[in-house]
Amino acid sequence: MTMDATLPGHLQELRRGTVVVASLMVLREPGYGYSLLETLSAAGFEVEANTLYPLLRRLEAQGLLTSEWNTDEARPRKFYRTTEAGDAVTDVLVTEWARLDKAITDLDTTTGSRK
Amino acid sequence: MTSLVDRYVFTALRRVPEQQRADIDRELRGSIEDAVDARVDAGQERDAAVTATLTELGDPDRLADGYAGRQGYLIGPELYAPWRRLTRMLLTVVLPIVVVVLVVLDVVDGKSIGDVIGTAVTTTLNVGVNMVFWTTLIFAVVERSGDAKRLKAKWSVDDLPKYQPNRVPIAQVAAGLVWPVLLIAALILQQFSFSDVPVLDPANWSFWWPYFIVVLALQAGYQVWLWRLGTWNRTVAVVNAVLQLAWAVPLIWLLNTDRFFNPEFHSFAQVGTESDVKHWLTVLITVIVVVGTAKDIYDTAKRGERTRRGLPTEVAGSGGGYT
Repeated sequence: MTMDATLPGHLQELRRGTVVVASLMVLREPGYGYSLLETLSAAGFEVEANTLYPLLRRLEAQGLLTSEWNTDEARPRKFYRTTEAGDAVTDVLVTEWARLDKAITDLDTTTGSRK
Repeated sequence: MTSLVDRYVFTALRRVPEQQRADIDRELRGSIEDAVDARVDAGQERDAAVTATLTELGDPDRLADGYAGRQGYLIGPELYAPWRRLTRMLLTVVLPIVVVVLVVLDVVDGKSIGDVIGTAVTTTLNVGVNMVFWTTLIFAVVERSGDAKRLKAKWSVDDLPKYQPNRVPIAQVAAGLVWPVLLIAALILQQFSFSDVPVLDPANWSFWWPYFIVVLALQAGYQVWLWRLGTWNRTVAVVNAVLQLAWAVPLIWLLNTDRFFNPEFHSFAQVGTESDVKHWLTVLITVIVVVGTAKDIYDTAKRGERTRRGLPTEVAGSGGGYT
């Protein structure tokens, strides 16, 4: 069986991009890097810190997130929040996700494969 | 002593654009401390927690690439195909031409056989390495300049080879033009520039060398004519045969009647006994010219005949044919 060798690659391909959607959705409530990491992994998204932190800055540069330093507490933290543009993008991405999910489900029933 | 966290953060920041450094410094330290605190709360030793957190964050250079938006490759998939095409062309077409030209210059110059082999080896290595290096450097710069998308050679179906029997590939026309020009240049230059004593018999300037120049010029003209004609037929086969024989027959005759090389040219003696070297060169050139001419005449005639009959022509290496 070659499944063991090729499966991780396929899974990674499939998951790529879901972190963006999940982050944009979670950050409708303001959050900082580590909190988002915790929330995502608790929700079942496998994401690594070294991918997530740069991603947040990239999304901010694209105008999908906005950030603000909170210095009220002992440890200053950079809070990110999804912008209006980010919300719009999220809606499109979620719609696309739903469409793909439906398309795959339909495919499964029309070909009559076991389910 | 600098702490592990400091060492990690400094290493990552070193490769991040300056204007982002302060902000990333603050945020990255905060994130690391959050993660360490979480591990300590879960009952881990602080030192072990720091090590585990940094190990999980991974190579700081990679993290810096992520922050700076740098790709982790030299030439991306957009540019790899054109890079490969250009590199392959340089190494398989341009490099051999350069090496052959330099070797011929050395031979004409009367260098010893050791020098000639040395030239061939060092030129192949030097020029080859330089070609690959500069090509790769230019592509890597284009990749990073962000112009890759714009510069990307747009592929379209027009780029597909024609595989039509009545098509003359432009590469063949170019080769057919370069060859006569090189020979004419070599013929003239060997008289005046390479060495004090010309290699070829100067007595032939009264008729044969000018005659060869004319025939070679006609061969170049033939290539252009063939290209504009755009097909192979019997006329082409006949013209090609006449031009090939017009060059090959006198050449072989001159060689074998000892009127080709300059009797005053003695550098052959450096390689071996002069008469032996001349003899073997004569045999070698004769064989190459006879075989090359025969093959060219046969190929052109065959191609013309197949085209006339509408027979398919093989596409080398594809197992397919076309008409």
